[in-house]
Amino acid sequence: MDRRDFIKLSALTAGAAGLAGCGHPDHQLIRFLPEESWIPGVATWRPSLCPLCAAGCGVMARVMEGDAEVVRNGRTGLLRMGLVKKLEGNPAHPVNRGKLCARGQAAVQIVYHPDRIRQPLKRRGERGTGEFEPVDWDEALSTLAARLKQVLDDDPAGLAWLSRPLRGGKRVLVERFLATLAAPAPVYFELFDESVLRWANRLSFGREQMPTYTLSVANYVLGLSADFLGTWNSPVAQAIGYGEFRQGRPGRRGKFVQVEPRVSQTGANADEWIPIRPGTEGALALGLAHVLLNEARRPTTAAGTAGERIEGWLQGLPEWTPEAVAEQTGIEAERIRRLARELIAHEPAVVIAGGAALAQTNGLATALAVNALNALLGCVGALGPVRFTPQPESTGLAPPHRTLRALVQKILSRPESPVKLLLLYEANPVFATPPAWQVAAALDRVPFVVSFGSFLDDTSILADLVLPDHVFLESWMDDVPESGTEPAVVSLAAPAMRPLHNTRAMPDVLLDLSRRVGGRLNEALPWKSYEELLRARFDALARRAGADADAFWKQALERGGWWSDNGGTRAAAPRHAAATTRQIRYQPAEMDGSVEEFPFHFLPYASQAFYDGTTAHLPWLQELPDVLTTAMWGSWVELNPQTAERLGIRQGDLVDVTSRHGTLQAPVILSTGIAPDVVAMPVGQGHRAFTRYASRRGANPISVLAPLEEPETGALAWAATRVQIRRAGVGRLVLFSGGLSRFPHPEER
Amino acid sequence: MRWRRLVLRLFLAVATALLTLGLLLGWWDSAAMDTDGTRQASPVFTPERPSLGAAVRDFFGIQPEPERQPIAFTHKVHAENRIDCTSYCHTGAAVGPVAGIPGVKQCLICHRTIATDHPDVEKIATYEERDEDIPWQRVYGYPAPAHVKFQHAPHIRAGVNCSTCHGEVEQMTVAVRAVELNMGFCVDCHRQHKASVECIACHY
Repeated sequence: MDRRDFIKLSALTAGAAGLAGCGHPDHQLIRFLPEESWIPGVATWRPSLCPLCAAGCGVMARVMEGDAEVVRNGRTGLLRMGLVKKLEGNPAHPVNRGKLCARGQAAVQIVYHPDRIRQPLKRRGERGTGEFEPVDWDEALSTLAARLKQVLDDDPAGLAWLSRPLRGGKRVLVERFLATLAAPAPVYFELFDESVLRWANRLSFGREQMPTYTLSVANYVLGLSADFLGTWNSPVAQAIGYGEFRQGRPGRRGKFVQVEPRVSQTGANADEWIPIRPGTEGALALGLAHVLLNEARRPTTAAGTAGERIEGWLQGLPEWTPEAVAEQTGIEAERIRRLARELIAHEPAVVIAGGAALAQTNGLATALAVNALNALLGCVGALGPVRFTPQPESTGLAPPHRTLRALVQKILSRPESPVKLLLLYEANPVFATPPAWQVAAALDRVPFVVSFGSFLDDTSILADLVLPDHVFLESWMDDVPESGTEPAVVSLAAPAMRPLHNTRAMPDVLLDLSRRVGGRLNEALPWKSYEELLRARFDALARRAGADADAFWKQALERGGWWSDNGGTRAAAPRHAAATTRQIRYQPAEMDGSVEEFPFHFLPYASQAFYDGTTAHLPWLQELPDVLTTAMWGSWVELNPQTAERLGIRQGDLVDVTSRHGTLQAPVILSTGIAPDVVAMPVGQGHRAFTRYASRRGANPISVLAPLEEPETGALAWAATRVQIRRAGVGRLVLFSGGLSRFPHPEER
Repeated sequence: MRWRRLVLRLFLAVATALLTLGLLLGWWDSAAMDTDGTRQASPVFTPERPSLGAAVRDFFGIQPEPERQPIAFTHKVHAENRIDCTSYCHTGAAVGPVAGIPGVKQCLICHRTIATDHPDVEKIATYEERDEDIPWQRVYGYPAPAHVKFQHAPHIRAGVNCSTCHGEVEQMTVAVRAVELNMGFCVDCHRQHKASVECIACHY
C-alpha cells in the first residue's frame, strides 16, 4: 500500500465513522414496558429440572435482568426481563448433587434457539414441506376442539397420543385425559428405551424399574457394553459414584473392567478393555456364573429368584464351561476364569450390562443372566451396589416399542386410517425407528396431526397444527427419577423465567381443551392449571409425610423437589418376584444379514452430545468434540485400522455402509478401540428436518437398521444388524485435534 | 507491484460502492419498516447492535449526542427538588453493579400527579399508552472489548461521589459524557485512595 492509497482508505474509514452519528432512537427496536423489576446486574439462582434424558437431574438456573427480543401484539421489540443465562447442577438434588453433564449445560440454548416455534402454526403447503402460517391461540384451540369432538362422536378409538415416556404429573394428566375420553392408552416412544432391563428386573427381583448403581460401595465393576459414565441410565449419578469408587476411599481403589466390542467413553476409563463378539454378553455372564457355581462352590440358591429364571441354573449351568463360552464370545477361557476369580476376590463386585448388550434379540436372556450373576455375587439389595429407588407410583409402562408398532399397524391396516387425530409430544419416531417400521407412511395417513413441540423435527413437520409448548425453564416442571438416587425423589420447579414467545404449556392446553370439550372431562380433570395439579399431588405427598401442606410446598419449591432426608424411604431391597416357574433359555443372538455378504456388525451408539438425536439442534453440542475421536458437526463411522488397510480405506474416506435395509454414507475415523469385525456409528445426526443446525447434517444410522426385536418386550434390537462397507470417495471430517493430519506432511508433498 | 495497486483500487471501489448501496437501501441504520409502520427486527444485527451504524459507533466508542435522547430530561430540575440519585431513579447503583436507567414506571410514580401538562411528561404518558418504555440512549459504558467490569455498589459504599465519574450532573439538563472514563482515570483515583490496582480488580 502506498501513501496515497493509505490516505484514501483512511478517508473512507473516517467517512464511515462520521456517518455513524446518524443513529436515531426511532431506528432502534422499541422497548416494551417491563412486567417485572430487577436490580440490574445481580443474579438470582432458581431451581429447575433438566428435561433432556430420563435421569431427571436437578439444575439451578442463573437468572439475570436482560433485554430479550420478543414479539408482543404483532410488534417486535426489546423487553427487559429476567433471563436464564446459565445452568448448573442443583447441589441439593440427590440425583446429580450439583453436577451436570454437557447436554444439561447446553440445555439453556433451547430457550433462545433462533428456530424455536414462537406462535401456533397451521399447515399451509403440502404435508412435510414445512410450510406453515401463524394462527392465534383461540383459533388453533377451537379448531382442535372441533376436531376432537368430531372424533369422539364418531369413535374415541380414533384418538391417539404419541410422546416420549412421561412421568409424574404429566403422565397422570395425559392418561386420565385419554381414559376419560375412552380413547386408547398413550403410546410412548424412545429409541433407547430400557424396557428389556425393566422387564428383566421384574422377573428377577420383582421391580419393574431401572436399577440404581451405588458404585461408591463397590470394589470391582465389570461393565458389559453399558456406557454408564456417558449416556446410560443415570450417568451423572453414576459418574459421581465412580469417582468415589476410584479415588474417594484412601487405600482402596476399585478395579474396573469393561467388556464391549467398541471402547466407549466409559470403556476408555477402564483398567482393562476386553473386546467381545456383539450379542454374546449374556453367554459371558453365564460362563462367569458357571465358574462361581462350580469352581468356587457358590450355592445355586444364593441367587434366589433371579437364578431360578435361568434354565439350567439349579443344575450349575453345566453347558456353560469357560471353554464353551470362549468359543461363543471370543474371550479366552483362562481370561474368563480370571475375571470370575477377581469378582470373588474384590467383593462387593457388580456387573453392569446395558446399551448394545441388551439391544439384541437375546437381550432379555442377557439381562436375566447378569441379574442372576449379580444376585449370586450378593450385590443386590439395600446395602449392595445394585439398589432400587423407592417409587411413589408405579413405573411400569406398556412396552413402548411394541405399542408404537401396534399403532402403526393399526393405521396401515385399513385403506382409510382408523386413527383420525394424533397428538404428538416430544417424540421423533420418524427419525428414530428403522424404515421397515413405516412410521412416516403411517403418520402421513392420519388425517389430522397436532404437535406440541417447540421445534419442527422429522416427525412434527408432518403436523397440521403446531401448538408450541413452553420450554422447560418457562414451565412448571415435575419429575420422579426412576434411578440414580437412594431416597425417593419427586422433583418440582416453578418457571425460572417468563415465556419469551407466544407459547402455552402443553398440560395447560390439555386442560383448556377439556374445558372446551366439557362433559366428563370437567370432573376428571378439575384443575384450572398444571400448577394446581402439581399442588394437589404435593398436598397428597405432604399428607403422607404428615407435614403441613403449605410449608411442604414452599420447601419443595425452594429446594427443587421433595426427597426424604431420613432413612425412611431409602433404597429398597428387591421384592420377591411373583411365584412362577417360568425359565428363560439363553439363545444366541440373531443377526440380520449373512456373514458372507454382510461381514461387519453394525453398532450404533448413543452419542454423548446428542443422546438419541433429540439435542442435535443445539449448536453448543454440535460444536462439542466427541470425547474419543474429537469429531464434531457431523457423522462418522469408526473402523479398525487393520480392517481399513485390508479394504484400502484411509481416515477421512467416505464409505457406503450397506445393510439389507438401506445404505448410508459417512467418513471413516480409524480407531484401534474397536474389534476388526465391527463398525460403530454415533446416533443423533442425519435429521431430514430439525432446525438450521441439524437439518441434513451427517447420516442417520437408524435408517439402515433391521426391524429385529427382542421377542418378549418387542424392544428394537438396534445392535443386531450386519453391514458391508465400501469406499465411496473422499469425505469431510471436522476434528478438534489432529485436524491437520488430513493434509500431507511437508516431506510428502 | 502494479497488480497490487490494481487489487487495492478494486477493493476501494467495491467497498465504496457497497457502502453507497447500503446507505441507499437504508441498511446503514436498517430502517426496515413494515407496511403498518411498525419496526421489524433486522435479520442481520442483534438487539445489541441493531444496525451497521450502531456497530461502527460501538467500535469507535461514539456516544449519542445529547439531543438524541427521546426526552429532554433535566437532571438539574430533579436535583433541585432534592431527589436523590440512587434512591428513586438509579436504584441499582447502591445495591448492584449497574446503576440502571429509570423507565416509564418509575417516572410515573411522581409524574402521574406532578407537572402532568409538561410536554415531556405527556410524552411519558404516551409511551405508557403504547405499552412502550423510554428508549434512553446510553451515555456511559465500556465497549465490550475493554473487558472491564465496573461495580457501582462498592464505589458508593466507599463514599465516592457520583460527580467524580459523571461530572456535575445536577447542573446538567440532558446528561452528557463529562468525564472520559479511561484506565488512567480509574488508576489515578485508585492510587489516591489506596484502592487495589491489581489487574484482576477490574479485568475479570
